[in-house]
Amino acid sequence: MISFKKNDVIIVTGASSGLGQSTAIQLNELGATVIAIARNKERLNETKLKCKYPDNFHIEVKDLTEKIEELPVYIKELKNKYGKFTGLAYCAGVANIAPLQAIDLTKAKEIFDINYFAPLFMVKGFCDRRNNIGKGASIVVISSISGVKSDKGHGVYGGSKAAIAASMKSFAREVSETQGIRINCVSPSDVKTPLTAHKIEQENSKYPFGCGEATDVSNMIVFLLSYEAKWINTQNYIIDCGYM
Amino acid sequence: MKQEEFLTELEDILQREDSCKVEDNIEDYDEWDSLSKMALMAFYDKQFGIKISLSQLSELKTVSDLIELAGENIQ
Repeated sequence: MISFKKNDVIIVTGASSGLGQSTAIQLNELGATVIAIARNKERLNETKLKCKYPDNFHIEVKDLTEKIEELPVYIKELKNKYGKFTGLAYCAGVANIAPLQAIDLTKAKEIFDINYFAPLFMVKGFCDRRNNIGKGASIVVISSISGVKSDKGHGVYGGSKAAIAASMKSFAREVSETQGIRINCVSPSDVKTPLTAHKIEQENSKYPFGCGEATDVSNMIVFLLSYEAKWINTQNYIIDCGYM
Repeated sequence: MKQEEFLTELEDILQREDSCKVEDNIEDYDEWDSLSKMALMAFYDKQFGIKISLSQLSELKTVSDLIELAGENIQ
C-alpha cells in the first residue's frame, strides 16, 4: 500500500485548486510533508483546512511566472527551510482556448511561461543535487491530453504541454542516471476542476464512465511519486478514461 | 572573473555541497560526470566565449587545469 513518511518532503504547485489541491491533500493524508505552492493564500488556507495532518502542510504563496529564471534559487530557499525534497508535483497551469486566427504572441508566451518555462526551472532547481534526496526522489509534471492529441483551439496550449512532456523525457534520462531521480508526466483530459468548469458540462457524454474527478488523476500522480513506482520512469501517462 | 568567483561557479555547476579548491583533483569529485562536463562546456562558451570539447575536459586532472583553460578570463 502506498504510504509516505513525515520526512518525505514533497512540493506541490498549483496546490490551491483542482489536480494540485487533490494531490496535496492525498499526499498529506498518506503521511508526507507537503509544501503547497500557489498564488492565492486564501484558497491555500482552505486547502489546509481539508487536510488530515495540517501540521505537515506548509503554505508558500508564490507566482511561479515571476522571475522564472530564479526559480532554482527559490527551491534552494525552500530546501533550507524544509530540508531536502523527496518529490515534486508540478500541477500549476493555465488553460487557454484560441484558434489560430486569434493567437497573439504575448498571450502565447504567457501560456508557455506557466506551462513550460516555470516547470522547466522548478525541475532544474529540484534536480540540483544539493536540493533533493537523490535515489528515491520522484517528479511528476502534469502535461495534458492536448499535448498528445490537440483539438481545435488548443494549438498553443497543446504545444506548451507537448513541449514540457518532451523535455521531461530528456531530463529523466539525465537525472535518473546521475542521481536516481525518476521523472514522469501525466496527461489527463478534462476532469471537474475550476479550470475546466466552464466547458465540462457539454463534454460530459464522451467518457464511457462519465466525467472524471480530480482524484481520478491525482491517484496516479501520488502513485508515481511513491516508492511503489520505483521502476517507472520517463513515461507520459494518458488519463482520459480511454476516450482518445 | 576572480579565482574565488570561479570556484563558487564551479561548485554550482557541479552542484557540490563541499567547496572546490584549486589543488583538488577533479576526477576525485563524484559529481564530475558527463552531464557536469557538458554543463561546464556551456559555461565556458557563455561566460568566456571559449569552446572546449568533451575530450579536452576529460584530459584535465585538477581544478587548476580548469582555471588554466580559461586563460586570462580567470585571475
